[in-house]
Amino acid sequence: MTTARSHEMNFLAPSVVRTIGTRSLVIGLIFAVLAIVGAFVRPGDFFHAYLLGFMDWLGVTLGALAFLMVRHVTGGTWGMVIQRIQIAAMRCLPLMMVLFIPILFGLPHLYIWARPLDTVADKHLREHLQEITQTYLNPHGFFIRAVIYFAIWAVLVFFLSKWSAEHDHPPMRDTSARTKQLSAPGLVIFALSIGFATIDWMMSITPGWISTMYPLIILIGELMSAMAFCIVIESILSRYEPMSTMLKPSFAHDHGKWTLAFVMVWAYFSFSQLLIMWAGNLPEEITYYYRRFNGGWGYVGLFLVVFQFAVPFCLLLSRPLKRDIRRLAFLAAWIMVMRWVDLYFMIEPNYSETFRLTWLDIVVAVAMGGLWLAFFCRNLASRPLLAAYDIHAQKVLEPVHGGH
Amino acid sequence: MNEPAIYGLMAEFDSADEIVAAARRTHAAGYRKIDAYSPYPVEELWEAIGFHHNRVALVVLIGGIIGCMTGYGLQYWVANIAYPTNIGGRPFHSWPSFMIVTFELTILFSVLSAVFGMLALNGLPLPYHPVFNVERFSRVTEDKFFLVVFSSDEKYNETETRAFLQSLGPKSIEEVPS
Repeated sequence: MTTARSHEMNFLAPSVVRTIGTRSLVIGLIFAVLAIVGAFVRPGDFFHAYLLGFMDWLGVTLGALAFLMVRHVTGGTWGMVIQRIQIAAMRCLPLMMVLFIPILFGLPHLYIWARPLDTVADKHLREHLQEITQTYLNPHGFFIRAVIYFAIWAVLVFFLSKWSAEHDHPPMRDTSARTKQLSAPGLVIFALSIGFATIDWMMSITPGWISTMYPLIILIGELMSAMAFCIVIESILSRYEPMSTMLKPSFAHDHGKWTLAFVMVWAYFSFSQLLIMWAGNLPEEITYYYRRFNGGWGYVGLFLVVFQFAVPFCLLLSRPLKRDIRRLAFLAAWIMVMRWVDLYFMIEPNYSETFRLTWLDIVVAVAMGGLWLAFFCRNLASRPLLAAYDIHAQKVLEPVHGGH
Repeated sequence: MNEPAIYGLMAEFDSADEIVAAARRTHAAGYRKIDAYSPYPVEELWEAIGFHHNRVALVVLIGGIIGCMTGYGLQYWVANIAYPTNIGGRPFHSWPSFMIVTFELTILFSVLSAVFGMLALNGLPLPYHPVFNVERFSRVTEDKFFLVVFSSDEKYNETETRAFLQSLGPKSIEEVPS
């Protein structure tokens, strides 16, 4: 009966997706021109902003991949509604690969280890760098490792995307065993690869500073970005068929619960890092927070505590809010903005002792976001919003029953 | 004795879907003093009998805030007023170190408020309840669902209410002696 119903329905993305894609492309191109001008006028600022924007949008891409794998391992109807949104987001990986190339040309602007060692004034740091640049932190290693990370992610994206596309055609199939076999080890490999990538791309900005919590903060931030992004998109799509039929308050409720969980875990990781370093009070560790508590950066930190944790946390406790996709989407959009602020707080204080926000920080993030969204919309429109021939997707169309 | 000898009328159902539908219709028919009993929590059931909010959440919130202030206040008082001690050059008001105890006391006070607030608001422990006078009611812990219309309801009328409950198609209807 449900099979018959699913075949009657048309799951193609509404035309609004293409409209958003076109507009995003226009905005992205305009800001990209501004950003390129900035790259020639202020190359230093440009590359700092570029890394920030890149990590922000990479987060949505990889977070979607990780989330898809989590859903393949755990099961659950909540994930079927947003599965095609996640797949469209993770299929932006080729774009992120292209966008990574400029970083390779900006290494000396971003990383002290990529500069000639004679220019490093601090004697201890210079000695440390002399050792570590020979073995690990050098441009060749950076490039080779980046290729490995992207290759791992590309393999996961390729197979998960391909297998999902097979469900667009008959016969009705259950391939959950196969996706599970890839996703379970995939999640472990993903967590390790994003950890190493974070060390290379962000933590190595200050080569003497080490935190084992840092990659986890990035990892959970990426999952949060992806969940928030899915909520925003499903809210826009829920005004049109077929999402208006697919999306039920109980699914929005589940997505809200995920967001609440990520907000809490993010706060837990971020605070743990502070607490451990505060308790240790070692010169090579506490410098990270010494800089972020002073020079005006402390206000950014406080802003994060209040608006990335306290306010979303209190709002997400509300059951009616989680079940109302429109209101939830506003909160999710806000969380996406706060993801940028969090990354800004992680990256920019490394380059400036006093508070500093350049126009390029915003312009580059918007340019990248515009291009990313255009690519995402192209991906989303290219496939139906529900895999009609996946046996598990059928549950999305069933009316909700009492109990569990 | 003005107290009614009948506590209410009890209708028995076989499944969660049936009792949810029956409870909705009973509520829609204007009965307000009704209650439902099930072997496991049925999420839609409490909505169906028109039960919206309870004050446990508020009690927990107040308990949590008191716990939070107690935890932080205690440490602030100890470290800044009673025994100011220089620990590794950190400020006396070493707020990151205060967080764990503050968090734990918030949780502790919230949980205790939840347990005792719940007991106080739902009137437990309750040694006697009229519904247990009905012999069939013992099946509520196994596989049966029961809907009760209390005799204290304004719309309650022995014959009319019985006829109404009969129209819901229950397995049986029993009087509950008080």
